[in-house]
Parts: sequence; structure tokens; C-alpha cells
Amino acid sequence: MSVTINGTNGLTFNDASTQNTAATGFGFKNRIINGAMVIDQRNAGAAVTINSTANTYVVDRWNGVGQASDGVFTLQQSSTAPAGFTKSLLATVTTADSSIGATQYYLIRQIIEGYNVADLGFGAAGASTFTLSFWVRSSVTGTFGGAATDNSALYCYPFSYTISAANTWEQKSITITGPTSGSTFDKTNGGGLNLYFSLGMGSTYLGTAGAWASATYFSATGSTNLISTLNATFYITGVQLEKGSTATSFDYRPYGTELMLCQRYYQKIGLVDFASVGTGFGISTTQAFFYVKYATTMRASPTSSFNSMWLINQTNNYAITSAGTSYLSADSAMLRLNVASGTSAGGPCHLAPNTTAGFIDFSAEL
Amino acid sequence: MYKDMINPKGDPCCVLRVLDGAIIPFDPANTDYQAYLKWLEEGNQPLPAEEA
Repeated sequence: MSVTINGTNGLTFNDASTQNTAATGFGFKNRIINGAMVIDQRNAGAAVTINSTANTYVVDRWNGVGQASDGVFTLQQSSTAPAGFTKSLLATVTTADSSIGATQYYLIRQIIEGYNVADLGFGAAGASTFTLSFWVRSSVTGTFGGAATDNSALYCYPFSYTISAANTWEQKSITITGPTSGSTFDKTNGGGLNLYFSLGMGSTYLGTAGAWASATYFSATGSTNLISTLNATFYITGVQLEKGSTATSFDYRPYGTELMLCQRYYQKIGLVDFASVGTGFGISTTQAFFYVKYATTMRASPTSSFNSMWLINQTNNYAITSAGTSYLSADSAMLRLNVASGTSAGGPCHLAPNTTAGFIDFSAEL
Repeated sequence: MYKDMINPKGDPCCVLRVLDGAIIPFDPANTDYQAYLKWLEEGNQPLPAEEA
């Protein structure tokens, strides 16, 4: 085996592979979860319309934000991807907004949990420089923008990047100096860093690229507004945010690991007819308690909802009609669910989907 | 609109979001609970509590 070390080229191994920058750490190098857009528990590839200012989650950990009655875009997992990737997140403009109001915004966002960036020391002297890299492809060329911000978006770093060729995958990297100010870079289970990719931005939220500012900026001055072009498309994948000033190769994680990382924020259980998701006991003819253990500990006690579930007991199956007083921790839930009839006090029962679209979900998103 | 839910001790423990039937626990880190608190601050009142 021969390994050469060269001051210019770095390390060259005997299989001709090279390492020309310093290793920036191993294990959770990429602080972005689902950066390759492979996990889509909520929608399984279906398009989601973004037409409100609320956070609408699409592929896991990524949400879209838009406007209630103006431009509209969809987001969905796509199989169009650059070499080395299998999925991307696709934005398609379905209603153009060619005159964006000063306070309007169209965004793709991921909020990184504080625990996952706490070591970078944001908001204080000595904060670590970090590098964002990603693959992008768009039908529209030009200078695009985005921002890294604290959790309140009161201390923000606008950035810009150029898409040179239409409908062609290009990899971009942006190195960002660590923010030494800003009071809402959470270091526990709150928002540790918000990352925005702009699809259209009003003037109020545009700032000078390349510097932190005590202002609310979601994109860089002069950036292109994809939302202004009907049917315009924008794909993104391979998003990585890592410590240091160099973009290194994408941190591929096992699918199961990536799924479990996502499940800290959202879990969807079920989707298989009759497959029990929890066991319980009746407390009356119309109510039962069910115990459900999550796949992994969640970020916070989650919100729970359900679709097309039924109670199965020794006599028959009964559709769940609504939820009652329930108890949810970050690890498990005791759910009181209601049926029209059919259960009995003390009678054992299961909770299961009554179609392949049946599920119960738990959301502890940021 | 929300509906309060109380436990057998009579203490509020979660709220039902009427729009979609979701159960929201009283966890300050839960963003849906944060939205509920903001909704209360705006002067809104939940539906009467449902007993456990």
C-alpha cells in the first residue's frame, strides 16, 4: 500500500482516492436530518400544496411556507436526483406571484434542533464556522437566496448562490461564520438553527448576503423569485450542514438510522390493515384506553391524531370516531379513543388500521 | 377552536383541536401547544372541559 502526502494535493491513497481537506469529524457530521430527502412518512411522494403561512411538512423535517391567497407552489418528494442520490425535494409553482408584497415570503425550511448544533456554540464568542452544501436544479437560472437564522429569525445570515444552467444539477457550498450574537440559538430541544431556501421574497426580508445582521432576513438582496414564473421547478437534495469551512462528501447514513432520526419529530404508525399498533381495555361501551409505545423517544410530548382506525375486540371491529382525554409523554401514550358502541368495561382490545390508509401519528416537530 | 380535557383528578392535561381531532399535550416544547397558548392570549376561550 502506498499513500502519498503532498502539501498541495493532500493525501492520495493507493486506489487513487484523495483527501485534500482536513477531516471535520465523524459521526453525525451532517446536522441536517433527511438531507437526501429519502424519508417521506407523511405523504409517500404525493404533492402537497403550500398556500398558507403555516409550516406545512412535506418530506420529513422539511416544511414549506407560503401565502394564504397569492402565489402557490407544491412540494413533493421526487425521484429526479443527481448521481449518488435517489430522491430530491421538488417545488413547482402552480400559481405565480409576479408582484411579491414587501412582507410576503415563499420558503423551504428545516429547523435544526438545539441539541444537534449545541457544540457549535452559536450566539457567543468562539462560535464555530460551518458550511452548507447542497445539490440544486431549476428551470429558472440566476442568483438564488436563502438564510441561516436563530430560532426567532431576529439574527440572520442571508446567503446567495447562482444557478447557471437550466434543468441541470449543480452542487453549491456556502461557508458561514459562526454567529457570535443572537439570543435564540437554542441548545436543547428547541430550535438551534433555522435554514431557509427562498422561492420568493418580499423586500422587507431581503438583506445583504454574507454577513450576520440583527434583522429578520430570509434571503439575499437581488435574489431570483422562482414563484414569479408559472410552472417553474426547483429541485434540491444532498443538503449538508457541517462544522468547518470546507464542504466534504455527503454523510450517507443507513436508511434505518435516518428514519429513526426523523421519528424523533414525527411518527406515522399503521398503514397495514388489522396490524395492531397498540393494546388496550374498554372503560365503557363507547370508550377504551390504548397504550402505544413510540418507535423512539420524541423531541417533546407529541400531538396525536388518527385516520381510519378501529377498535378490535373479541366480538367485532368498531370504527374509532374521536379522541378523548389522553396522556402523552415523549416516550409513550395512553390514548382514550371513542367508538359508537361495541366495547365493554374491562374488555381487552386492540387498536389497528381499518384500511391501508389507516394510521395514528405523533408529531413533535419544531 | 379547542376543547379542554381534564384527567380523573380534575386537572387539565391536554386539549382537543376541534378542526382535526388531534390531541395536544400540555408540553411547553410542543409547538401545537405553543399555538394554543397564543390563541388563548388573543382572548379566545376553549370549549368546556371534557371529563376523563
